[in-house]
Amino acid sequence: MTDSPESYEAAVERLEEIIDRLDSGQSGLRETLDLCREGRELVKFCAAELDEVGEGLKELRLDDLAARLEVGSEQS
Amino acid sequence: MEQPAQKQAGTGLPGPYAVGRYAGKLQEWMRERARVQLIGEVTGVGRSKVQAYFELRDGDGAIPCAIWLNDLEKAGLGDGALRDGAEVVISGGLDYYPGGGQASPNFCFRATHVRLAGEGDLIARLEALRKQLRSEGLFELQKQLHRPRLPKTIGVVTAETGAARRDLLAGLQRRGWGGSVIWGFAPVQDRHAAPAIGRAVQDLAARPEVEAIVVTRGGGSLADLWAFCDETLCRTVAMLRVPVVSAVGHERDKTLIDDVAAVACSTPTHAAEAAVPLDCVAARESLERCAVALRRAGEGAIGTRSRHLGALARGPARALQRERSKLNQKIREIRAASERGLAERAASQKRIGTVVLERARNRAVGADMEKRRAALHRAAVALRAHEPERTLERGYALVEGEAGEPVTSAEAAAAAGEVKLRFADGRVRAKINEAGEGDVERDR
Repeated sequence: MTDSPESYEAAVERLEEIIDRLDSGQSGLRETLDLCREGRELVKFCAAELDEVGEGLKELRLDDLAARLEVGSEQS
Repeated sequence: MEQPAQKQAGTGLPGPYAVGRYAGKLQEWMRERARVQLIGEVTGVGRSKVQAYFELRDGDGAIPCAIWLNDLEKAGLGDGALRDGAEVVISGGLDYYPGGGQASPNFCFRATHVRLAGEGDLIARLEALRKQLRSEGLFELQKQLHRPRLPKTIGVVTAETGAARRDLLAGLQRRGWGGSVIWGFAPVQDRHAAPAIGRAVQDLAARPEVEAIVVTRGGGSLADLWAFCDETLCRTVAMLRVPVVSAVGHERDKTLIDDVAAVACSTPTHAAEAAVPLDCVAARESLERCAVALRRAGEGAIGTRSRHLGALARGPARALQRERSKLNQKIREIRAASERGLAERAASQKRIGTVVLERARNRAVGADMEKRRAALHRAAVALRAHEPERTLERGYALVEGEAGEPVTSAEAAAAAGEVKLRFADGRVRAKINEAGEGDVERDR
C-alpha cells in the first residue's frame, strides 16, 4: 500500500480485511508477505492517529478563537 | 350598513360613510367573531389603571392583546406572572375601540382569561412543528452525514456552568480520548436561548477542524428546554454539514433538536460516546492484537513454508532412493525372468532341435533308404543281368561238377568224365567223350 488511508475508520476496515484474509489461510506466500507489510503500515497509521488524541484533552473557547482570528486579521 | 344615497363618479366604491359610524359598525362586527384561545409568548407588557396590555407573539406573527385588570386578577396568576417571555394561553375575542373626539381608536384581542401555557400546550405546538419539519425532510439530512469514529476536535455548545459540561468531559476521558474540545458557551434556558445556541453551533461548524458538535444541557421541563425546540435553531442544525449530537434533558426525542440532529442521546455522557464512537483504550488493545496477528502471520508463513521447502528439498533424495530400490528390484526381476526365459528358450530350442533333428534324420534316413533301394534295385537288376539263369534262359548251359562246382574248361570236363549240364529249366548229366564227343544222360 503506497497511499495513506483516508481515515482511521478506513484503515481499521482494511486491517480487518487483511486479518480475515490471513486467518483464512488461503493467501500464498507473496500475498501473505504483502498483506503483512500493508497491515504493519496500517497499524502504524492507526497508532499515530490514536497518539494524536492520546496526549490529554485540550479545551479551547470559541470566543477566544474568534478573538484571535480578529486580532490576526487586524495585524495582517 | 346602509347604502349611501349616491356613488362618487369614477371610484366604483360605496361611500363615503361617516367614519365614526363606520368605526362603530366595525366594533360590532369584530365582537361578533368567534371567541378562541391563543398561545404565544408575552412581550411588551404594560398596564393602565384598568387594564394590562401586551403583545402575544410567536415566530410567525403577533397580535396586540388587552385584559381588564379584574379579569387578570380572576385568572389568579400571581404577581408578575404576566411578564415578558412568559408562554401563556389566553381566551377571548377580537375587539375594537372606535375612539372618540379626543381618544385614539385601538384594535386588540380582548382576553377575558389568561393562564400560563402548560406542557400539553407546548407539546401540541411542538408536534405541529415536528410534523412540519419532518414533511420537509429535515430530520434526515444530519443522519446522512459521515460521523468520524475518531475525531480529533469536537465542538460543544452548552452552559459554561453546569453539570452537562462536567459529565461530557468525564465521558470523553473515560473513552481515553484526549483530543481538542472547543467550547461554544451559550445560555440554554427557555426559548430566548435559541438564537445564541444557533450562533454557537454555526460558528463551531464554520471551523474546519471541528469534526462533530455536541449540543447539551441537563434535564428540565419542556418549557426549560424550549430553546431546543426553536424552529430557526432546528432548521439551522438540520442544514449543517457537521454532524450534531444532541443531549438535551434526560429523555430522547423530546425536543425538536433531537429529531434533526445526527444522533440524539439522553445524557451528556452518552453524547460523549456518540461524538467519539471509538473507545480509544479498547482500540489500542485491538491494534496491539492486530500487530501480533500480523507478526505471527508473517513469521508463520515463512516458517511453515521453510519447513515445507526443507521437506521438499529432502524429497528428491528420498524419491531417488525409492526409485533406485524399485529399479534394483526390477533388475532382479528382469534377470530372474531372463534366466527363466533363457532356460525355457533353451529347453524349447532343445525340444525344437530334437524334433528338427528327428525330422531331419527321418528325412535323411528316408532319402538314404530310397537311394539304397534304388541302388539295390539297380544292383539287383544288374545282378539279375549277370545271373547264369539269364544266360541259361538265352540258351546257354552251365557245366557243373558233381558237387555243383562250375567246370570252366574242356580239360576239367574231360578230367571229370561226367558232368552236369545246367539249363534254365533243369540239369542233365553228361559223359565226357575224349574225342570230344560223348553220351549225354539226363539226370532228372
